[in-house]
Amino acid sequence: MQENKRGGIKRRDFLKIIGVVGTTAAVTGGCSSEPVEQIIPYVIPPEDIVPGIPKWYASTCLECPAGCGIVVKNREGRAIKIEGNPKNPVNSGSLCARGQAALQGLYNPDRIRSPLVKDSSGRFKPLDWGSAEKTLLEKIQSLKEQGRGDRIVFMSGNISGSLERLIKDWLGAIGGGKHLVYETFAYEPLKQGNKIAFGMDKIPTYHVEKTRFVLSFGADFLETWLSPVEYAKKFGLMHSYKEKSMGKFVQIEPRLSLTGANADEWIAIKPGTEAFLALGIAHVIATEGWHSSGISKEEVDMLVALLGRFSPDRVSSITDVPSSTIRRLAEEFVRLRPSIAIGVGAANTSTSATQTVVAINILNYIAGNTREIVNFGESLTISKASSFKDIASLVDSMSKGEVELLFVHNTNPVFTLPDALGFKEALKNVPFVVSFSTFMDETTELASLVLPDCTTLEKWGDYVPREGVYGLVQPAMEPVPLFNTKPIGDVILSLSKQLSGLEELFPQQSFFEYLRDSWRAIHSEVAPNKDFETFWSESLQDGGVFREVASPEVRLSRDILGVDFSEPSFNGEGSLYLMVYPSSRYYDGRGANKPWLQELPDPITTGVWDSWIELHPDTAKKLGVKEGDFLLVESAYGKIEVQAFLYKGIRPDTVAIPIGLGHESYGRYAEKIGVNPIKILPLAYDALSGGLAWLSTRVKISKTGRWARFVKTQQTTSQAGRGIAQAVGLEEIRRGLVKREEHHEPDMYKPHDHKHRWGMSIDLSKCIGCGACVTACYAENNVAFVGKEQVARGRHMSWIRIERFFEEESGFEARFIPMLCQHCDNAPCEPVCPVYATYHNYEGLNVMVYNRCVGTRYCSNNCTYKVRRFNWFTYKWPEPLNWQLNPDVTVRTKGVMEKCTFCSQRIIYAKDRAKDEGRFPRDGEITPACAQTCPTKAIVFGDLKDPESEVSRLSKDERGYHVLEEINTKPSITYLKKVKWDRV
Amino acid sequence: MSKRAKILPLALVPVLVLLGLYFKAYEKAAESSTKGPQQPILFSHKIHAGENQIPCEYCHSYVTKSPKPGIPSMQKCMGCHLQVAGRDVDYEYDGKKINIKQEIQKLKDYWDKKTPIAWTKVYYLPDHVHFNHKRHVLRGIECRTCHGDVENMDVVYRVPKLEMGWCIGCHEQNARNEEELTQLKDCLTCHY
Repeated sequence: MQENKRGGIKRRDFLKIIGVVGTTAAVTGGCSSEPVEQIIPYVIPPEDIVPGIPKWYASTCLECPAGCGIVVKNREGRAIKIEGNPKNPVNSGSLCARGQAALQGLYNPDRIRSPLVKDSSGRFKPLDWGSAEKTLLEKIQSLKEQGRGDRIVFMSGNISGSLERLIKDWLGAIGGGKHLVYETFAYEPLKQGNKIAFGMDKIPTYHVEKTRFVLSFGADFLETWLSPVEYAKKFGLMHSYKEKSMGKFVQIEPRLSLTGANADEWIAIKPGTEAFLALGIAHVIATEGWHSSGISKEEVDMLVALLGRFSPDRVSSITDVPSSTIRRLAEEFVRLRPSIAIGVGAANTSTSATQTVVAINILNYIAGNTREIVNFGESLTISKASSFKDIASLVDSMSKGEVELLFVHNTNPVFTLPDALGFKEALKNVPFVVSFSTFMDETTELASLVLPDCTTLEKWGDYVPREGVYGLVQPAMEPVPLFNTKPIGDVILSLSKQLSGLEELFPQQSFFEYLRDSWRAIHSEVAPNKDFETFWSESLQDGGVFREVASPEVRLSRDILGVDFSEPSFNGEGSLYLMVYPSSRYYDGRGANKPWLQELPDPITTGVWDSWIELHPDTAKKLGVKEGDFLLVESAYGKIEVQAFLYKGIRPDTVAIPIGLGHESYGRYAEKIGVNPIKILPLAYDALSGGLAWLSTRVKISKTGRWARFVKTQQTTSQAGRGIAQAVGLEEIRRGLVKREEHHEPDMYKPHDHKHRWGMSIDLSKCIGCGACVTACYAENNVAFVGKEQVARGRHMSWIRIERFFEEESGFEARFIPMLCQHCDNAPCEPVCPVYATYHNYEGLNVMVYNRCVGTRYCSNNCTYKVRRFNWFTYKWPEPLNWQLNPDVTVRTKGVMEKCTFCSQRIIYAKDRAKDEGRFPRDGEITPACAQTCPTKAIVFGDLKDPESEVSRLSKDERGYHVLEEINTKPSITYLKKVKWDRV
Repeated sequence: MSKRAKILPLALVPVLVLLGLYFKAYEKAAESSTKGPQQPILFSHKIHAGENQIPCEYCHSYVTKSPKPGIPSMQKCMGCHLQVAGRDVDYEYDGKKINIKQEIQKLKDYWDKKTPIAWTKVYYLPDHVHFNHKRHVLRGIECRTCHGDVENMDVVYRVPKLEMGWCIGCHEQNARNEEELTQLKDCLTCHY
C-alpha cells in the first residue's frame, strides 16, 4: 500500500473513523430532535370537509377542445388528483396525460400573481384589481362614447356555453365588437369538406367502435385529433382482440404517428395526395359494383362519372401507393363493413386538404358508412371556431390600425401562428391589448394590461364539446391564494356594473349567478319536469347533462362535382417535405409549462425535455447525419436548429418536427427548450376552407457540425429476441394454435401461501402507448420530475414506463408494453436487500419500505425488469407545485429506492372502507391510478386468488404470458399478447 | 501509516462520545417531561375532559370517521365559550398563576379577528408513518391507551415515545389470531 504523500488521511483510515463515529452515535442513542410542527384549526369548518377523507368534484377538462369530463380529488381543500368522469360520454372515466397534468397548471409556480399594467418603459408593474379594471374601463368608456365600440375584438380559444354568450352579448352592448374563436387546430377542411359533400358545415362524431375496418388519412386520433381519449376508447373497442376476432386499422400518412404506430398497416403516401388515394379506392368500389345498396341510381351514375378519372394506375403514380394495394384496400373496405374512412389530421393538412375530406366522404358514402357511423347530430362545437382566414383578416385590420382594443383569452397566437402572417408586428398597431392569460406567454408579453384568469380547476363555467354534452365546470378548490386572480366572467360582469347602460343588461352579481341563469334554459329544454334546484344539484354531481342526439340522414351533394381534385402545392426550394405535427404531450404548446409532460417520454422517440427532427435513415445517410447531430432546417421563411432523430417510420423525402416547444416566454419549464417549427411555415391556405396548410413547405437541411447526445429514456428499439412484448398472428390464434406456455423451474424456497394476491393483467392488443398511465402515476404517487440532465444519466423516476420496440424486419412496426414492478412472487430484489427494506407481504405485494432503505441499490441491480428507481437527490417541487402532493404517499428523499406499489395507498384505503362494513374489497373496488386513467382499459387489477375476479380470468387467457418467464420470477402481472393481422 | 494519521482518529473519539452523550441527554429531556410545550393559550384538558367531563369525541369529532381525529374549529370553541366566560380566578400551572377569564378572553380575541390559534403539535409522527385513528377507535382501543391520562393533564404532553417497537408490541398483544398477527406486523400497515 502506498503512503499518502500529502500526509492526510487515507481512505482506509477515514473509514475507521467513520466507523467510530457510527458506533458512538449508536451507543449514545443518536440525534433524535424532532421538528416542531403546528396544528392550525379551521376558524369555521367547511361543512363538507372531513380531514383525511377526500372529496371529489365533477367538472370538465379544458386542456384541449375535446372537453372530457373529470372528477377532481380534493384533500383538505387542495386539488391533488384528476380522474376521468365515468358518467361523461366523451371520455367515460379515462383521461389523457394532458388532462392529468392540468394540476401542474393550477399549481404552476410561474402563474401570473396579480394584474399587471405595462408602464411607459415597457415593463410590467403589478396593480390591484380595482385600478386594473378602472384602467380598462376608461378605455372602453372612451371607445363607447366615440361610437367606436365596433373596433374592439375579442380573441379566445374554443369556448362555448355561458362564457361565449356573455362575451358576445357584452361586446354587443359596448358597441358591436367582434368575437373570434381561434384554435390552433380548428380542422377547417373537415368542416368545409362535409359542407361540400353533405351540405353539413360541421364536424361530426365518428362511431369508430361500431366498425370493423378503419382507414385513416393522417388523423392522429389517439393523440390530438378532435377528441383523443374518446377515440382511443372507441378504437380500443374496435381493434382489441376478443372472441376470435378484431377490427383492422390502416393508417395513411407520410410520417408514422403514434396513431399510425398502432395500425395494422402503414401506407407511406406521398405528402398531400390523400384525396387521390381515397378516390382511387372509391373508383375500384364503383367499377366493381361493390357500392352500398342504399345509394340511388343517379348517385351511382354521378359517382361513376366523377371517379372515372381516378383509376388505380393513375392514382398510384400520383400517390406512390401501388395499384395492387389500392385494389386490396377497396376490397377490405367493402368486405369488412361497417368500415370508416376518416381524416385529415392537422399534420397532413395540405393546400388540398378539403379535397381530401370530400374524397373521404365520397368513399364513406359509396361504401354505405354514413348514418350509423358518422353522426352529424353529435357535431362538435369546434365546428364554430373561426377559420384561419378570419384570423388572417384580423391581422390585416390590426395592421391597418382598425382594431383599437384587443382582448386575448386562453390562446397564444404569437406562438401558434406562423411568423409569415405577421401577427406580432400587427399587434404593435393595436393601441391597447388586454390579456386574460393565467401564464405569462408570448402574446401576454405584448399586452398593455394583464388581467390573470383563474384556472379551470378554480372557477365556475360550462363547456359544450359537442351537441348533447353539456359539461359543467365547478371549482375543485378555492383559488390558490398565492395568485391574485379573478375569473374572466366575473371581470366582465364587474366591468358591466361600472359602465352606464350595462347594469340592467348584466344584473348578475357573479359569473356563478350568470351560469345558473343560463342553465335555466338547458333545464327547461332537458328536464322541464324537475324543479330547477334538483336539476342543478344533480347536474353538478354528474358533471353536467348528457343525452344522445340522433344521427340525421345525409345525402351526397352534387357540389362534389365542382371540386377540382388537384395535387397540393409546396413552397420552398428544398428537397424535403416538412411535416410539423401536434404533440401528444404539449398539444399546440399549451402543455409545455408542465414538468410532468416534459418528462413524459415521447411515445415514438422516447425523447424528453427537447425537440427533434425525424428523418429516415436513408436520408440521414445521404446527408451524413447521425442521431444527435444538430441540423439547420431552412424554409423560405426562416430557419431553426434542431437535433436529428433517425426513424424508419417516415418517408425518405419527408422530415418531421413536433409542435409545442420553443417557447420564449411561458415559465421556467417551457422557456428556451426546443424549437417552434411553426415559425418557419409559409403562409399557405388550404384552398377550399381557408384553413392553414400545415403541410406546405419543403426545407433544406444542412449539418451545423454540433452534436450532443439526444436525451431519450429508451436507448434501444430492439427486443434482442428476448420476447418482452410478444405478439401472435390473428389466424394462428383463430385456429387455436396459441397455447398458454407454463414454465416450471425448480424453486429454492417454498412457495408463498397467500389468501389474497394482488395482480394485474395488461392487454397488449389494447395498449396504444399514449402514456396517460405514466402521468397518472406521477400525480398519484408523488413521483419526482428530475429534468433533462438527470434523465440523460438514466435517473428518471417514473414507476411505470411505456417501452416501445420496433420489429427488426421493418424497423417501424411498433409494439408498446407498459413496464412496472411485476410484484414477483420470487422477487430477485428481496433476498439481496441487506436491511429487509424490500420484502414480500402477505397479499403478494413486493413492498418497499422507504424508512428502512439505506440505499445500497442492490435491489435495483438485481431487478430483472429494471423498474426500481433511486433518489440520487432530494428532488424539489417549487412552491406551490408541492401543494399537489398526495398526503397518503410518503415523499421520498435522497438515498432511498422506490418503485411501483400497485398504489398500495388505494388498496389500504379500500380495505379500510370495506372493513367498516366487515368485508374484504370487492372485485373492481380497487383501481390503481394507471388502470383508472387508461383510455382503452388495457390494465385490469384485482385479486388473483379470487377465481371470480376479472384479473383471474384474464391471467388464464390463452394469450397470457409473463415477461422473461424463464427467469422464474413468478410475476403478478400477466401480459396478454398483442394480436396482429397476418401480412397480406 | 504516519504518526499524525494514527493519533488523529484517537483524538476524535472523546469528542464524539461527548457529542453523543449530549444528544442522548437532550432526547431524555424531551421525552421524560410531564410538561407540555408552550401553547398560545393555556388550554387545560384537565378542566375540559376531567372536571367538565366533555367526551374526547365531542371536540375531536372525526376520530371515528377518518384517519385524522381533527382538532376543534374556533367555531366549536366559541360554541361553548359564548356562554362560558370563565371564572375570574387564578389557576395554578407550572408554578405560575394564570387567570382563567383572561385566557378565555384570548380565545375571544382570536375569534373576533377570525384568526386560528396555531397550536404546537404534541404527537408527532414522521411522514413515512401513516396512523389511522378510525381503525383503532373502532376496534375499541381507548384514547388513553396511547394518549395517557389526558383528564389529568393541563397542557397535554406526550406519554409514549411513539417508537415502532411500542406500536408493534401492542399489535402483537392484540392480534386475535395468527392471520391477523401477520397483517398487523406487516410493514405496509403503516409505511407506504
